[in-house]
This record gives sequence, structure tokens and C-alpha cells, in this order.
Amino acid sequence: MTTVIGQLINALQLGSIYALVALGYSMVYGIISLLNFAHGDIIMVGAYAAWFIMTSLNSFLPFGAVAAIAVVFSILICTLLGAGIEKVAYAPLRSAPRLSLLITAIGVSYFLENMAQMIFGAGAKSVPNIISIGSFHVGKMTVSWTSAITLIVSVISMAVLTVFVKKTKMGKAMRAVSEDVGTAQLMGINPNKTISLTFAIGSALAGIGSILYCCAYAQASPTMGSMLGLKAFVAAVLGGIGSIPGAVLGGFAIGLAETLVSSVGLSVWKDAIVFAILIIVLIFKPAGILGKKKIEKV
Amino acid sequence: MLYINDMNVYYGSSIHAVKGVSFEVKPGEIVSLIGANGAGKSTILKTVSGLLRSRTGSITFDGKEISGYEAHKIVSMGLAHVPEGRRVFSNLTVEENLEMGAYTLKGNVEEVKKDIFSRFPRLLERRHQIAGTLSGGEQQMLAIGRAMMSRPKLLMLDEPSMGLAPILVEQIFDIIKELHQAGVTILLVEQNARKALEIADRAYVLETGKIVMSGDGKTLSESDDIKKAYLGG
Ligand SMILES: Nc1ncnc2c1ncn2[C@@H]1O[C@H](COP(=O)(O)OP(=O)(O)OP(=O)(O)O)[C@@H](O)[C@H]1O
Ligand SMILES: [Mg+2]
Repeated sequence: MTTVIGQLINALQLGSIYALVALGYSMVYGIISLLNFAHGDIIMVGAYAAWFIMTSLNSFLPFGAVAAIAVVFSILICTLLGAGIEKVAYAPLRSAPRLSLLITAIGVSYFLENMAQMIFGAGAKSVPNIISIGSFHVGKMTVSWTSAITLIVSVISMAVLTVFVKKTKMGKAMRAVSEDVGTAQLMGINPNKTISLTFAIGSALAGIGSILYCCAYAQASPTMGSMLGLKAFVAAVLGGIGSIPGAVLGGFAIGLAETLVSSVGLSVWKDAIVFAILIIVLIFKPAGILGKKKIEKV
Repeated sequence: MLYINDMNVYYGSSIHAVKGVSFEVKPGEIVSLIGANGAGKSTILKTVSGLLRSRTGSITFDGKEISGYEAHKIVSMGLAHVPEGRRVFSNLTVEENLEMGAYTLKGNVEEVKKDIFSRFPRLLERRHQIAGTLSGGEQQMLAIGRAMMSRPKLLMLDEPSMGLAPILVEQIFDIIKELHQAGVTILLVEQNARKALEIADRAYVLETGKIVMSGDGKTLSESDDIKKAYLGG
């Protein structure tokens, strides 16, 4: 029983990281119909940012302060990078065919990976655990603080995002632009600003995800973002791309599937299962679990 | 209030949709723009509101040259556009749609919302309903109400009666008259030429991107050419 619950906690921890990353895919897709393949690599940059702070400031400052700076720095870098990529690479293509945008995104992804390799080398850097406070007990069970905090932080982030999108003026404008840019402009909404904001928010969530990922796996490498990004993308598709609750649901579902496969001794299959899910979703329910059929604009 | 001088609009490099159009709307008027499918009516409105660009000429609104402005800046100057096909935000509630209409409004949004709700009691009843589930007539009311939320001086309506049952067409035209009486200047694009000429102070007739006739509503509706082409004999 305790192992089952232990596995479930693992699944939730992994799932919440996928969910945070999937949200970025989904929001960006929702607003400019772009599968932003560079999104996973933003997490990689965030991880290096955390590594840089953790290893360069640790001899001057107490651990708590270094950890706090690392978290803030990493989220900030991701936010700026995400919004910057949009400005430089995607905004000039606003009226270009969607395929050009997709190819650009893939280009940005390779660019970031290769830059990281040039600067930091191809090998992995080990990132000291930011949440270095061990574990606690629930009955006979031991739960690591890393797992608990990961879950709590993710749930809070998602709740804040949901309230933002549902209740604030900016959030409503984001939904309006997602649905119909032209009409949103007629309301006086500046679409470029709204799109930048969407990238910034999605990337900030990726920044949070990258910190939590480092806590779970303790390393940064140039290609870490591509597999994580792909899985989060599958999560977004599974939940229904464009849908915020869908991305969360998809994230947890993928985390659960992967943990399940590993826990029955088939861990070599854990990546394959994710892509099997993708194929099944695309065949049987391409709109995803919570996705709406896209209303074609006339 | 609105002067359009020598508007030329192209789609791509080969489709010349609006060919040297000039016209004006004076303060307090209802001006109708009528013409067959594809004449270029919607293109003209989109160009005025900044969604498309004219290659030549000028657009002056309220004494300011606005032809280079981005669409989202023009609304706040007091020019609202109800697009063809209503284009309500179907995933947003009725109330959220109205709030989007007031996006640029400085001042009390609640107050304006109350005013719109009193004009459109149906929208008040449905305020929490998702706009995509409204009937066609309700959506048209929402689209007009939403545009009115920005407190415009000039309201441009693109085929507000499209696809509505005759009784609803009456209602929509009554609403337009009421808004006009409340002091809003109106530029109306319509396929329903009979109604559009009836309500208009002045009207322009557009054919394949050119204005071919203009005059006051009554004179035009009595002209033989208009009767033949637009009023069914
Ligand atoms: N996005 C577009 N790309 C290419 N051509 C277009 C586009 N939009 C309109 N056109 C063309 O421009 C011309 C004018 O179109 P417009 O929509 O302004 O006509 P309209 O008078 O509003 O017609 P309707 O009464 O059917 O709404 C038409 O020939 C149309 O085919
Ligand atoms: Mg039209």
C-alpha cells in the first residue's frame, strides 16, 4: 500500500512539472496557433540559470539566500527569454503562413540547444538541490519535501493563472484575442501586447517548472528541454490544446502513465508510452479530452 | 465627422476591392452604404477602422487624419465598428463581451454597462450565458451593445440585419433609430436596401468598388435604377 501511495506521489510530482510546461504550449497555441517547439528549451535555459546562481554565489551567501536568488533569477530569465523570442522571431511573421512560424520555432529550439552546448559544453551540470530540507512522515510513509513543494507550488501557480485568465481585464483580453484577433482589435485591444504577455506568462510557468525539474533530477544539460518539452506537448494535446484545465489534466495523466509503466518494471518503455498516448489521442480524439472543436473563422 | 477621400484598397497585389472611393458622414446623420455582394462595403468599413490599409488618400475622423493608425487606437477616439457576422466572442459570457467593448473606456464601466442593459433587457437576462449559445438576434444585439460600450461618436454597422427573421430586422432597425436619437452618428452598410434607404438621411450606392450613385435616402429609393437593381423592381 505504501509503495502505491509512494508511486502516486511520484506521479503527482512529475505530473505537475509536465502540467506547468504544458500550460505554456497550450496558451501559446491558443493565441497564435503555434506549436512553440522552443518552449521546452526555455526550461533548459532556466535550469542553467539556476545552476549558475547555485554554483557561483554559494561561497558568498548563505544557502537560503542563494536558493531564493536562483529561483527568482531563473524565472526572470525564462520570462524575458520567452517574450524576447516572440518579439524577435515570431512577431515579424505575424501574417506569414503557419508553417513558416512552426519552422522558425524549430529553428529557435536548435539555436538555444546549440548555444547552450557551446557555452556550457555537451555534458550535464549537476544542480544542487534548491529544496534541501529532506522529508517528513505521514503515518508510516516518508514524503520528500521536494515532492510536496513541487505539488503545492504547481497547484498554486495553476490557480493563480486560472483566476488571472478568468477574472482580470488582461486575462479576458487574452481569451478574446485567442478567439478572434480582428474583432479584439476593434475593441481596442492591442494584440501584440496581449501576445507578448501570453508568452511571458507561459515562460514564467516554464521557469517555475525548470526549478522544480532541477529539484527532482538535479541536473542541467543542453538537450534536457527537448524530451521534457515533447512530453509536455503530448500532455497539452491529450488535455486539449488551447485549454488551460486540459493542460493540467494532461500533465497529470502523462505523469501518472509514466510512473505506472516504470513502477511495474517497464521503465525502458516510459518514453514510448507517452508517444503511444499521443498517437491514440490523435486517432480517436484529436481535439483532446477537454478541447473544443475549433470553430473555423469565416 | 468622417471624411473619406480617394480610398483604394487591394487584397494582395491583384484584387482591387475599393477603387477611389470618397464620401462623408456628417455629425448626427445616418448614412447608408448599399451594394451587392462583393461590392466592397465591408472592405471600406475595415479600412476606416484600421484593420486594412488604403494605398492612397486620407481618412479624417473628428478632424484628425486616422489612416495610419492601428485599429486598437481608433476605437478610443470614438469610432466603433460592429463587424459583419456579429463576431461576438463565443467563449466569453455576454457580460465579458460587453466588458471587452469597454476595453479602452476611461471611467465607470459599470455605469455604461447598466445603460446598455437597460437598452437591451435581453442581454441582462442572459448576462452570464456563454455568447456562442445566444440566438442570432441576441448575438446581433450583443454585438451592437458591445460596440456601444466604448461610448462612440460614430457607430459603423456592417449588415446588422443579415440572417434575421423580419420581426428581428424591425427590432434591429428600431434600435439603430434609438441610438441615433441618443446622439450617435451612424454609418450603416446593408444588403437590405429598402430598409437602409428608408432610415438613411443620405446614402451611397457601391458597385464593384466604386460609388455609382449618392443622394438622400428618399430620392434614391424612388430612382428607377435603384428600384430595378436593389429593391426588386
Ligand atoms: N481577405 C480577402 N482576400 C481576398 N479578397 C477579398 C478578401 N476579402 C474580400 N475580398 C474581395 O474583395 C471584394 C469586396 O469584398 P467585401 O467583403 O468588401 O464585399 P461586401 O460588399 O462587403 O460584400 P458582402 O455584401 O457579401 O458582405 C470582393 O470581391 C471579395 O471577393
Ligand atoms: Mg460585407
